[in-house]
Amino acid sequence: MDVDVVCAGFGPATGGFLTTLGRALTREDGGVRLESRVSPGMPLQVMCFERADDFGVGVSGVVTRARGLRASFPDFERAQIPLCTRVTGEKLVYLLDPIGASRRSRPLRAIDVLLRGAGRVAGVRHHAVVLPFMPSFLRKHDGFVLSIGQFGQWLSGQIMAGGGAQIWPASPVDGPLFDGDSDRVAGVRLVDQGTDLKGEPTSAYTPGMDVRAALTVVGDGPVGAVGRALDARFGLPEGHARDQWALGMKMVVDLREGVDLEPGTVIHTFGFPEPEIFGFLYVLKPGTVSLGIFVPSWFDSPVRTAYRYLQHWMQHPYLWRWLEGGSLRSWGAKSLQESGRRGEPHLVGDGYARIGEGSGSTNALTGSGVDEAWTTGAQLAEAVIELAERGDPFTRENLERTYVRRRRASWLDLELRIAESARNGFARGMLWGMFGMGLAGLTGGRLRLPRMSDSRRPQDEHCSSLDEQGWPAIVHDGRLLVTHQDALLMGGKVRAAPGYADHVRIKEPGVCRDCRARVCVSMCSGQAITSAGAEGIAFDREKCVHCGACVWNCATSNLEFRAGAGGLHSVEN
Amino acid sequence: MSGSGPVKVLVLAHSEADGTVGNAGLEALGAGRALAAAAGCGLDVGLVGAHVAAAARQIGSCGAARVLGVSGEAFAQPRYVTDAAAAEAICRASGADLILAAGTSRWMRVLGGVAQRLGGSVDTHVTRATAANGAISVARWFYRQRIEGEVSRTARPWVIAIEPGTQAPWSGAPAEVTVEAINAAPPPVRTRVTGVRSPSSGQQTVRPEAELLLVAGAGWTKKQADGQAHVGDAERLILTFLRQAQASLGGSKSLVDQSGDGNDVLGFMTHLNQVGQTGSSPRHRKGLATCCHGEEPHVVGWRFITERRAVNLNPNCGWALGKADVLYVADAFQVMAKVNDLLAK
Amino acid sequence: MGYHIVVCAGIVPDPLQSLEPVMGPGGPGLKNEAMLPAVLDPWGAHALYEAAHLARQHADSKVWLVSFAPKAKLQQVMMTIAQKVAFELVAIDGAAHGFTDASGVAATIAEAVAGIAGLDRSKLLLFGGWESASRAAGATLSMAGERLGITDQFFGVDGITVGADGSFEILERVEGGQHQVSNCGGPPAVFGWATGSLHEPANNPQLGMTNMRALIPALQRAKAASPAPAGTFAGVAVPSQRRETRIVKDQSPDAIAKEIVEWIRQ
Repeated sequence: MDVDVVCAGFGPATGGFLTTLGRALTREDGGVRLESRVSPGMPLQVMCFERADDFGVGVSGVVTRARGLRASFPDFERAQIPLCTRVTGEKLVYLLDPIGASRRSRPLRAIDVLLRGAGRVAGVRHHAVVLPFMPSFLRKHDGFVLSIGQFGQWLSGQIMAGGGAQIWPASPVDGPLFDGDSDRVAGVRLVDQGTDLKGEPTSAYTPGMDVRAALTVVGDGPVGAVGRALDARFGLPEGHARDQWALGMKMVVDLREGVDLEPGTVIHTFGFPEPEIFGFLYVLKPGTVSLGIFVPSWFDSPVRTAYRYLQHWMQHPYLWRWLEGGSLRSWGAKSLQESGRRGEPHLVGDGYARIGEGSGSTNALTGSGVDEAWTTGAQLAEAVIELAERGDPFTRENLERTYVRRRRASWLDLELRIAESARNGFARGMLWGMFGMGLAGLTGGRLRLPRMSDSRRPQDEHCSSLDEQGWPAIVHDGRLLVTHQDALLMGGKVRAAPGYADHVRIKEPGVCRDCRARVCVSMCSGQAITSAGAEGIAFDREKCVHCGACVWNCATSNLEFRAGAGGLHSVEN
Repeated sequence: MSGSGPVKVLVLAHSEADGTVGNAGLEALGAGRALAAAAGCGLDVGLVGAHVAAAARQIGSCGAARVLGVSGEAFAQPRYVTDAAAAEAICRASGADLILAAGTSRWMRVLGGVAQRLGGSVDTHVTRATAANGAISVARWFYRQRIEGEVSRTARPWVIAIEPGTQAPWSGAPAEVTVEAINAAPPPVRTRVTGVRSPSSGQQTVRPEAELLLVAGAGWTKKQADGQAHVGDAERLILTFLRQAQASLGGSKSLVDQSGDGNDVLGFMTHLNQVGQTGSSPRHRKGLATCCHGEEPHVVGWRFITERRAVNLNPNCGWALGKADVLYVADAFQVMAKVNDLLAK
Repeated sequence: MGYHIVVCAGIVPDPLQSLEPVMGPGGPGLKNEAMLPAVLDPWGAHALYEAAHLARQHADSKVWLVSFAPKAKLQQVMMTIAQKVAFELVAIDGAAHGFTDASGVAATIAEAVAGIAGLDRSKLLLFGGWESASRAAGATLSMAGERLGITDQFFGVDGITVGADGSFEILERVEGGQHQVSNCGGPPAVFGWATGSLHEPANNPQLGMTNMRALIPALQRAKAASPAPAGTFAGVAVPSQRRETRIVKDQSPDAIAKEIVEWIRQ
């Protein structure tokens, strides 16, 4: 199939791209403004393929300043997007450890002792201290909290109703197509269908369709198959590395009757359940909150069971007074590529451009990624409009001159530069990390800690469970505190469409058999990867939420994470 | 037409091959009598079949003011064109404004169309019909046995399909009764019923008459502790159990759907076995769930199982916790092998 | 001969979602319904795949899909369904929840079917789900068929075989896990499908593109309809069925099996 522009992945970045481009395809009188080369007389033929089986399923709730979004939608506030509300108040809260199981450094323990000693004088309430100030770089006071799932649903409707592009869900993209032996990207290939789990054809076999395009827009996120294939072929620019990751795990919760948190309230926490684990709670509407934690790659423990940590975090007295008696409405998990600009790949090449999180647009200092991703998409669309109007081809030079130049000249790149080294301290511990973030954030990046070693991966199962570390057992209430497997069922159902190969595959089984750390197992968001005794590990696609954590947690790079259909099916995240 | 209170209740029933009214029909009659009594109104009975004399005698002492019958070879077969014509003719002859019938496959095929012809409304999957203060209301299922609603209507006539298995069947002595023969004139018949066929899956399916329902969940075909799937073992264990326990077989949707997957599947499972939200909600006295995982949407499949037990490796499994009487936390492969050994003795 | 197959199928919340009914001023509905992921009604989807299968076997056949659902949600569902089989969409913009009255919905659907340009009533096969996963009335399709004057109707259908003389052999689910076998002279007829025997077709984006050319205009042309509620509701609820579960742990398979067999034999 031939089109003019093909996009891999439908998220905020591609949303920004398609929204901006879609509006420019035709003139006000209905005539063609940007003419297609594959269908002369028609506007540019633009097609987007999304892996998941619906738009905006299984992604994350956000707080955003929405600068890019509002540039695209001046009436954003009045668009009546469900679960979207203006920020009304922000707090940064340090959580003390009321249990005593947290892995805290000596200096941090000393701080805790001082705070507890001073008690209410120091503002300690419910085992927590609300910081008297919010660092300017973290503030979102002029922004919104929203559900990306609901936003994605709304947005896809806007784009398709406008007729500017077709977005196909349940259509995973296997990888890029190249023009002969050259490095020019010529489109994408969709995954084969009608195969067994190993990818062998069955009687229903349909080979993945080739979709050829003059421009391939790569917006498939931090672990997308197309982006990863391009990285494998072209490498990263000199000095760049993708060594900072986090797993975000979150829930949408209906609070019990009578809990009165103001919609638009934003709470960020740090210090508990482990010092390295940040948490968030956003009030989306009366009685409904989005909450979650981030487990970062520098968290030096093999016991990275984000789900269990999330349960301990929710039960912290500061939060539990609101959450107790609530019920789980939706649940999800997602990898975050937090290297930002230092992990930026080659943004463009002949026939392709990269946008969104996979292009290094996430700002770990300001804790913001959606608006940044949107903005990169909008910038690429402006570049495509410029090139298409002049009839210029989508070469690396032309895309550099239009898209990359716009990106470099914008607030987005300026802020990403400030953030570039903001997290250097975390390799040494939480206090250094916070100090480094403050230093970079408050001096506009002029002062920063030197870069330390790359993220530390645990190498051994020295302590295999949170129980052994002294964490109390979770008492399930069947509504909010439920088993991990029930969260998969209650918080958004996992789908695994038949006829596709397993998307998580082991390259060398022997390597997994000999691996003692098996962080892929503890970090798996859906318990889809399990230890299988002497066999190494087993993968069950019917539990996989496609968070991609296994890939960056595998110390031996022995896992393949390919494109696959299905995954979590919840549109409220 | 509409009214606040009913003037008459009509119960429609069809005769079975042996000429009698079946259990579901007697349940509808029980519900109709109770409703007429509560509403303080009259009761008619309408009978359809090849012959209706035996059926009329069977229900002769039910207290119906009139027994109306449509009979003849054309009405022996469960078929839309003839059954709809018969029911319409009886309803018009009776003039009743509340029409009850059992939700059997035969009546469910035509009740909507009959309501349409009469210019009335229809409610199906009704579990209770009551009268109070001159108003009639029914409890019925929506969303396939997942949500129950209490509905009243003022529009008449109102056709109500009583869910089989939900009422006490009427059981009175036989008595001679006069049947008013009603002439139903169906349009030319283009459909012939040629017989009844058991599903070609040949194996077990959901058989309502069985004492026990075995629900097989997707866990049977999953990789087990050794990292391998053991589908062959699962098939042998399940089939042996079904044969020895004379049990009916139900499956979760995920287990049935895997057959399109190129996966190893249980060869004898088809969509006919599916219980739950997109399958059936069968009625059995006992149910044994094995390797099932899920919660409310799935558990609809055994809403009408009286005694429930489950074998599952997860003690917190939402399928069982709070829904089963007993949950055995164990490997179903091991347990069912032992169960089969014991049943064979 | 070719058939003109009209499939009636609405959309429902993904059957795996937990549903919570709520009473509103206009009658009952589902909590957060607009946010639940939607799918084509599973029973109607079987009907659609069977229709496409039948149409492929008989030249000059055509398939329409009449869908009564909120337009924006329907569009999203169509992006997936359009990749599976070839059809022309007739959209009606209105509430899809299960608490609407079957007769009102049937009237709207029958009117939409009657209004399809180029539809030959002598070739008409009205397909749909045996029951929807939402209203679950099992009456809507029959009422629509009546309005269209069709007196050969079949429900719980699992299979249709076309004979050499053009007649149909039909399998309908009846009590006892069995199928009633009927022979029908041919169209027009109504078929309310159970599951049939076909697997869900694989996604085919190329087919999707072809369908999409007509799909978006069809959605834009969708007429709005407001079906009345199914009477006056005193209440709606998910039956609470919490049982006291005795959990048997740490017992040998032998001991558990013994207990199970005793229970079976009671």
